[in-house]
Amino acid sequence: MQIGLNFTLGNTLDLVQRLIREGEVDYCELLIDNFLHVPPHELAGAFDCPIGFHIMFSKFLESDPEYLESMAARLRTYIDVLKPMYVSDHVARFNHNGRQLYHLAELDYRSEYDAVRQRVERWQEKLGQRLYLENYPSIMDSGCDAPGFFERITQETGGGMFFDASNAVCAHHNCGLALDAWETLIDSTPHFHVGSYNYSILEPKVVLDTHDGELSSDTLAFLERYKERFDKPGATMTYERDVNIEYDAIVADLRKLRAIFGDAKAVSHV
Amino acid sequence: MSENRTIDSELLDALMVPARQADYPRDSRAFVRIDTSLRVYWHVLFDICPELLELSGPDGLSIFRPFMAWADARQLSMNWTFYIWVYQWLLESEFREQVTRELAQSLTAASAARWANGDRSTNGGIVLGCTDFPELIAGWKCHTANGGREIECLELEDPLPMPKGRFGYFTVPKFELDNFPGWSEIPR
Repeated sequence: MQIGLNFTLGNTLDLVQRLIREGEVDYCELLIDNFLHVPPHELAGAFDCPIGFHIMFSKFLESDPEYLESMAARLRTYIDVLKPMYVSDHVARFNHNGRQLYHLAELDYRSEYDAVRQRVERWQEKLGQRLYLENYPSIMDSGCDAPGFFERITQETGGGMFFDASNAVCAHHNCGLALDAWETLIDSTPHFHVGSYNYSILEPKVVLDTHDGELSSDTLAFLERYKERFDKPGATMTYERDVNIEYDAIVADLRKLRAIFGDAKAVSHV
Repeated sequence: MSENRTIDSELLDALMVPARQADYPRDSRAFVRIDTSLRVYWHVLFDICPELLELSGPDGLSIFRPFMAWADARQLSMNWTFYIWVYQWLLESEFREQVTRELAQSLTAASAARWANGDRSTNGGIVLGCTDFPELIAGWKCHTANGGREIECLELEDPLPMPKGRFGYFTVPKFELDNFPGWSEIPR
């Protein structure tokens, strides 16, 4: 299992380069559409490691064809230069009735399946790559439909599952979706995300995918229990940290991941 | 699986309308889910422009709730123009006498930053003009591996004509302001 970190903001480059230099990460995942005005070779030169791509604002399920055509052309330039191990995107709703949702919403996996499938096929074709699709950190009961949705859509489109383990833990807490509902999908993919969660301010508490702190014990237990399913040739596990970006805290979590997947570096202490 | 369930897409109309939160039982997961969404709008507004809390008080609600209702009535897109429309609402509100030039510039800069962070067109920058202050506010997207978006307050030697409305904007293809294509109206 290769352990990586997400890179979303240029001002964290020094920290990420240090993690690479010191061997705390094996690769880096770029939130690539944050960097579409950085010359591709400059971006490639900034990372002395393999790269993954995670797309944030294609909004491919909603955007008009001209916008997607333009964005795909730009992304293909970066794909050609940086040769990412994977290209992934979000399966979520960004807008409702033309108004932006600042907290993304989950799809209605049942009623929206056909339209979503068409969009996945087209976006994947435009990118010229197998597209990995990430599961949502479900709060409401729609989450219970997610495993069946992803099994069907990956099979029918040839796309891949981009399995976010901590998002599955959120869904487990919030809508009671058993973690073993994801077994087939975990087996089917080599690419994973993991990050911290936190609790809502109000009661009844819901669990929110916040990426702001330490990995929870139940997320780590999930990875441990299923490590043989997660770990496979070419497997990648990207640790997501978007808030409280502190070197030692990040290294501590990275080493917990290495300890689960049996890497000797985890033995030494921060 | 029980069919007595609530799914996210049933809540979409309420996710940016505080008044709609009361449609759901206080002890329901739906209420908390809607609250989670509303808090993000709250933080996007007051974390970026904390001086607004000097007008509203520390919970921000005397601005937040009426503005979000006003935005809903107008079906504002809540895109990068979010802060500009907050400014417009303030000028029509009980707070209009307390709106300073500095606050106007701060809200304008916040909109430029939101464009620079979230816009995915091929344009490199945006320039905003406002008839309430002479400077231009420019927002530039991240264009180096170790950089971020940049916001500038510009005073040109040869000032541009003022926009026709209170605000106007134009986009810049690269990272240099070398052409004035004319002002576009701020979209909803």
